[in-house]
Amino acid sequence: MRKVLIVDDSVSMRQMVSFTLRQGGFEVIEAEHGQDALNKLQGTAVDLMITDLNMPVMDGIALIQNARKLPAMKTKPILMLTTEGLASKKEQGKAAGATGWIVKPFDPDKLLLTIARVLP
Amino acid sequence: MSQAQPRFLERIGLARSSRRSSSHGGELSLDRPVASLHSDPTCGAVDSAGLHSNGVSTPAGEPSVESELARYLPQLSRMGEQLRQTSSQIENSVVDVCNSFQSIAEHAKATVGRSQAFLREGDSGPAQAGSFDGLLSQCSQTLVRVLNATEESGEISRRAIDRIRQMDAASEKITAALEQLEEIARGNKIMALNARIEAARAGEAGAGFGVVAVEVAVQTERSQKVTATVTDLIVELRGLAASTLKDLQQMTARDAARVEQCRREVDDSLQKLQNAHGEMKTMLSDMSQDGEALAGEIGSAIRGMQFQDRVSQRIAHVVEDLAHLHTRLAERFGTENGGNLADDSGFSTYTMVEERVVAGLADAESAAGDVELF
Repeated sequence: MRKVLIVDDSVSMRQMVSFTLRQGGFEVIEAEHGQDALNKLQGTAVDLMITDLNMPVMDGIALIQNARKLPAMKTKPILMLTTEGLASKKEQGKAAGATGWIVKPFDPDKLLLTIARVLP
Repeated sequence: MSQAQPRFLERIGLARSSRRSSSHGGELSLDRPVASLHSDPTCGAVDSAGLHSNGVSTPAGEPSVESELARYLPQLSRMGEQLRQTSSQIENSVVDVCNSFQSIAEHAKATVGRSQAFLREGDSGPAQAGSFDGLLSQCSQTLVRVLNATEESGEISRRAIDRIRQMDAASEKITAALEQLEEIARGNKIMALNARIEAARAGEAGAGFGVVAVEVAVQTERSQKVTATVTDLIVELRGLAASTLKDLQQMTARDAARVEQCRREVDDSLQKLQNAHGEMKTMLSDMSQDGEALAGEIGSAIRGMQFQDRVSQRIAHVVEDLAHLHTRLAERFGTENGGNLADDSGFSTYTMVEERVVAGLADAESAAGDVELF
């Protein structure tokens, strides 16, 4: 079963994304901010990471920059899932190494389709 | 909004001057910096004589702008806390709903899985051992074997009846033969009597013939006794055969009726089982489709529930702005006179204990969910 790391400071958003992914047949692990996610990535190999942008402790852009330094995450897809839709922010995400950008609210079916597209 | 607040805000020039930046959705900006309010002649700053520098005087007995601002400052923090708590409560509710959806979806998924497994089993061609169709077929075959065995017993009974009838017919022939023997014996007796008469007429010469005639008569008598005994036995045998025949005929007729009734009942029951199974398959198929539809509807609900995330973020931005505003105003006007606003009619609309706790207005009161009967 493929493993996905979900990073969001909102418990409800983590739950909604987790619910959608579990229904889609994925195993899910959760982190509440960027630093928490980096800690979890040290001990666990994941197939995909979905992260929010604005979070306490470490935001999504910094998380992606740091995650891309990890050998296990160099080529793994990373999706941003955020309410932010500014083109300049998207450019920052792309430059940091994000694979894609999804603006909340997400459609569960569309999220699963997007994941299917980015997963090798 | 309270009745007191608009008048006050109007006096200090804030009532209609607040606007949100179009480029930064989360920030609250003022027409002019709060720190400059006091020195700006257009905003109603107050001089030592109670006159606004723009010429508007402070009515006698009314508190100064500074003291009113300081008095209301704590309420800004409390309003921020109200918003934070509201946001948190909404999030908790959404989390609960999500948990419920998770549970509903898992149950629906399990039901769909079981239904589809059952339907796949039923559609896998010939009835498999252990499947409902297989069990139904086995049951049907067993019942047919039982009925066939019962019918075979009836057939054996019918053959036994035929044999008993044949035996009776043979007995009848034996009886007829015995009657002929009796007729012959009667002839022999007459013949022996005539022989004795003729032997007596012949005198000495016929003495030997007379002895033979007597012996013939004796043997004929014995023969008649044996014939009579056999005739009695045949009569008794035919009586037994007749009663056995009657019993067998009754039993065979009864068994035939029972077998026919059983066959009809078994056919009917098997047909009903088959129909019930068909209906169950249809129902399971419908349930499976309903379960899949439910999963889709939950997906739509999840999309709808994400309003909470957006609301939470907007509330967080407003709370942040309130905090900034509080800091700026506190820096400028101080907070030494801030305090409880319980006596201010503008802050008396709270109805929930949580709201009053945050506003510093809490009294002894019931919490959510409490029930009290009077």
